[in-house]
Amino acid sequence: MKKKFPVISLLTLTAIVILCLACSPMMTKDPLYMDLAHCNDAPGKEFLFGTDEMGRDIFSMIWYGGRISLTVGFLAALISTTLAVLVGSVSGCASARIDGVLMRLTELILSVPGLLLTVSLQAVFGRADVYSLSVVIGLTGWMGMAKVVRTEVVQLGNTDFVLAAKCLGGRFFHVLFRHLAPNLFPSVLFMAVMHVRNAIVAEAALSFMGLGLPVEVVSWGSMLSLAERALFSHAWWIIVIPGMFLTGTLLCLTNLGEYMRGSANKRHSNLG
Amino acid sequence: MWRKFLTNRHLIKMVNNIGKFLISVLVLSVLVFTLSRLAPGDPLYAYYGERVEKMSVEEQDQARERLGLQAPLFTQYVRWLQRAVHGDFGISYQYKTDVKEVIAAGIVNTLLLGGLGFVLIFALALFLGLFCAWREDRLADRVVCRIGTVTSCIPEFWLSLLLLLIFSVWLDWLPSSGAYAAGGGGSLPDRAAHLVLPLSVVVLGHLWYYAFQIRNRLLEEVRADYVLLARMKGLSGRRVLYRHCLRGALPSYLSMMAIALPHILGGTYVVETVFSYPGIGKLAYESARYQDYNLLMVVSLLTGTLVILCNLTARLVNERIDPRMGVRSVSAGGEVRRL
Repeated sequence: MKKKFPVISLLTLTAIVILCLACSPMMTKDPLYMDLAHCNDAPGKEFLFGTDEMGRDIFSMIWYGGRISLTVGFLAALISTTLAVLVGSVSGCASARIDGVLMRLTELILSVPGLLLTVSLQAVFGRADVYSLSVVIGLTGWMGMAKVVRTEVVQLGNTDFVLAAKCLGGRFFHVLFRHLAPNLFPSVLFMAVMHVRNAIVAEAALSFMGLGLPVEVVSWGSMLSLAERALFSHAWWIIVIPGMFLTGTLLCLTNLGEYMRGSANKRHSNLG
Repeated sequence: MWRKFLTNRHLIKMVNNIGKFLISVLVLSVLVFTLSRLAPGDPLYAYYGERVEKMSVEEQDQARERLGLQAPLFTQYVRWLQRAVHGDFGISYQYKTDVKEVIAAGIVNTLLLGGLGFVLIFALALFLGLFCAWREDRLADRVVCRIGTVTSCIPEFWLSLLLLLIFSVWLDWLPSSGAYAAGGGGSLPDRAAHLVLPLSVVVLGHLWYYAFQIRNRLLEEVRADYVLLARMKGLSGRRVLYRHCLRGALPSYLSMMAIALPHILGGTYVVETVFSYPGIGKLAYESARYQDYNLLMVVSLLTGTLVILCNLTARLVNERIDPRMGVRSVSAGGEVRRL
């Protein structure tokens, strides 16, 4: 069964990305302007999605903040994917000793509580801004994928066609680029998309807990950091609207990623 | 010399594994120790709170001296290690009591939340996995998979906020924070009411991933040749799935459980913070944020050790069931590794 191409997800995602990138004509208000006469206003004609407790217009903040969330997600995913592919493929190709050291190291970093790792790495970079946070999320998110890449490289290295290529005199780089890379590409692409997704979640969760971007830097996560106080003032729009955009983006990314992974289970079930 | 005594291969392997485990824990402690002291902020704030600002420089220095924070990093670590080996982990700066007491209070709550979550997740995941595998590609399977994909995309902290908004703010059915009502002492219904929301977030956040894994594993199993044979011999499809395929998928289920345990227990971090649930996760968050070094060390080591232990268990389970995996890690060379 071939998977259907997720048209709706792609369109929605493209729309969100374009609207966020070209946000200036979209914004009806200045997202950073605090209109103190209109704090916690419900969605209405003037403020399409309402205002938060500092009187900022949520409709404008969504697009403006989306740009930052997406930037962090993309940058962090770029860093973590590059690291994961590097470590994973080196570990998969190298001698048993180097492989052992690299994998032990990976497991060790995995066993440090993620929160501590993030907080102390962030400390090295100083105050959190878009770029430092991306680097921190990127540097803390590569371990799982590196292990997967390593396993795949080892498995591919054991296949008959690689053996055949080597027997025919193929050099290391020939095997790498002609046989390993094309086979690795779909799963790496899938994981890269998932990393974008995870990085967006990580940014949102960190900013929400007050460990990431500060409230003044608008992103979907930092918008939600006002949520706990919004609970008490019954201002549901402060909680629901940024979260819906966040979840929608994540869902589109997941659908695209699943498609890229390619279709499994081609054989017919023996059970029926 | 050693070989003479340890002729038994299993014994060698056991010693090897224990050694690796101890080294991992030791390196982990060094790593956490260094990392935690890299973080910004002043541990004196954790100890004295706002009073620090009123203290003179000399007083601050004295306080640091008393807490043993003036010595070089390495000396501090050695001092910590010496005490830790004897079971003395120091006091928590924030709570001013023995770290072990603080942890003991939190660990019960976390184990309750995480443990119940773990049991529920794996029971439900097995059920859903079996159900979907049985109805592969039919409507029910597609609907469940769809719901799963959507739910797994909702960030945990937002799900918590939504549930709080709906069930404690709008409907006012369930309490919004804590593990029991203040002063109530924690009767059973009270505790259960406080547990419902955090527990549902923990379960909903993890359930789908494991259900999918079990479903996919079962679908692989269903395509094996022995299924054809069993069917040919006249066994019903249902029986083959429950009796044979399930047994085939059991090893991955077990190793999945081992790997999932620290994930689920550690995944309560965010949930505990949002719901102000007094568990290990909240302690970890607080201690990392406010430089409560002694508490942070123990919490990190506890979770780290759990991760290492569970990974080890998963590997051993896998090796026991599929001996080829063990060969690869013991003598990674020769015929296994052609590249």
